[in-house]
Amino acid sequence: MFRLEGVSVSSGAETVLADVSVAVGTGEVLAVIGPSGVGKTTLLDTLALSTRPDEGVVRFDGTAAWAAGRGTRLGVRRRLGMVFQEANLFDASVRRNVEYGLRVRQSWRERVGGAIRGRLLSNRLVGWLRRLRATVGGDPTAPDGGSAGRSTAVEEALGVVGMADAADRHTASLSGGEAQRVAFARALAYDPDLLLLDEPTSDLDPRNTAVIEEAVATARDSGIGVVLATHDMHQAERVADRVAVLLGNGVVERGPTAQVFEDPAEERTRKFVAGELVY
Amino acid sequence: MMGPGLDTVLLGPLLVEFPFEATYVRSIISVSLYVSLIAVALSTLVSVPVAVLVGLSDFRGKGVLTSVINTGMGFPSVVVGLAVLFLVSNQGPLGALDLVFTKEAMVLSQFVLATPPVTAISLAAVTGVDRGVRDAAHALGGTRVDTALVVVKQARYGVATAVLAGFGRAISEVGSVLIVGGNIAGADGVSKTRTLTTAIQLEARQGRYGTAMVLGAVLVGLVLVVNAVVVRLGGRGVGG
Repeated sequence: MFRLEGVSVSSGAETVLADVSVAVGTGEVLAVIGPSGVGKTTLLDTLALSTRPDEGVVRFDGTAAWAAGRGTRLGVRRRLGMVFQEANLFDASVRRNVEYGLRVRQSWRERVGGAIRGRLLSNRLVGWLRRLRATVGGDPTAPDGGSAGRSTAVEEALGVVGMADAADRHTASLSGGEAQRVAFARALAYDPDLLLLDEPTSDLDPRNTAVIEEAVATARDSGIGVVLATHDMHQAERVADRVAVLLGNGVVERGPTAQVFEDPAEERTRKFVAGELVY
Repeated sequence: MMGPGLDTVLLGPLLVEFPFEATYVRSIISVSLYVSLIAVALSTLVSVPVAVLVGLSDFRGKGVLTSVINTGMGFPSVVVGLAVLFLVSNQGPLGALDLVFTKEAMVLSQFVLATPPVTAISLAAVTGVDRGVRDAAHALGGTRVDTALVVVKQARYGVATAVLAGFGRAISEVGSVLIVGGNIAGADGVSKTRTLTTAIQLEARQGRYGTAMVLGAVLVGLVLVVNAVVVRLGGRGVGG
């Protein structure tokens, strides 16, 4: 269980979050809805341990993250995946991007060894090995050597977002929607316990939005907890199990999706959901 | 009265004035490359980590430090040469190392000259990397070192440009290497501390314009080759 308990965050003299508490368990989707600038991104950054709260506790399975040592926090961070509003892909191939999370989880010895093997095994040599493999009756498309597990994870993650055939493309050749799908695969590849999605479809067309929403459902079904920050209430209604409504720097209402949208306890929530609350 | 033979007329200038020209030119190229490449390699080892540290950190005085680094690009080379000569002279703090008029002293002065441009241009490249890329590296579980490596890879074209600028400054520099190196060639025609630039200056002053032109062409050719190599290495797709 991942939770924020009474968290307050300020930026200079301005209060961004005030006494916010939310929790998300494995295999559920929590949508954090609210207008732009209300602190949804700060809430996700706080959960991601990128922002240290002024007050309150960020707790993962009972451990207060900021009271623990740096090593513990790194361990916690490595249980999280995050997708931003922008894809923020590295200037490299899709494969290099998606396997990044897996690479940083390797020891330096494995990483240096892998890099040296990658340099020594030229494309020509790899091609020759594949032809040799095909000649002796093997699968010529099978990955080589110790990178097999990583390749499989990369291909599975890309498959979830319908980009399995794009592994060898450079990110510069991707459309905005494809780039965001790759960013989603990148966060999924190392099988995190919690996915943090910061308005991941706000710049996408309906088709790419649908792919991402399906991927969110797949992640949930495989036991991953998801926190989705969005100002798209229809999307929250479609994908979330529970909703937290963030207004005026605080959570004014939280509960099952149907209840929040159909029978909100708070007048401000009713107005926001009805589009009557203008910020 | 017998005049000089045709072969003497044609080859005389080469045979008489430069009986060891090939060796001479080769040794000058060798000294130039040795001094410049080692100085730039050392400068890169220092400058890139400094640029990453400064670029990725927020601290009081960062603006002042950046200004100092940028100002360093305009250091007059003769002043640097003078300072390094003082450092390595018998009375200087490094006097015990007996470095006066050696290639090592020249490396030291070129290092001092190359470091500001390499640092400043690397810093600009590092700070130009999209903040979102750093955030992504961190959010994907990267440590500070992982994030710094991602930033350097993303800034690789800029870092390659920085290295080129440093190499350009080092290999085309005259004043400081003349002061700390002494522009020495042995009686056997082998350069001890004579570089392409100091040799060009000497040959032109002595009226041997042909040799000076050849050395100038070699210098330009070397810069072009090193440019091509660094751009090739810097442009290799290794991101992420």
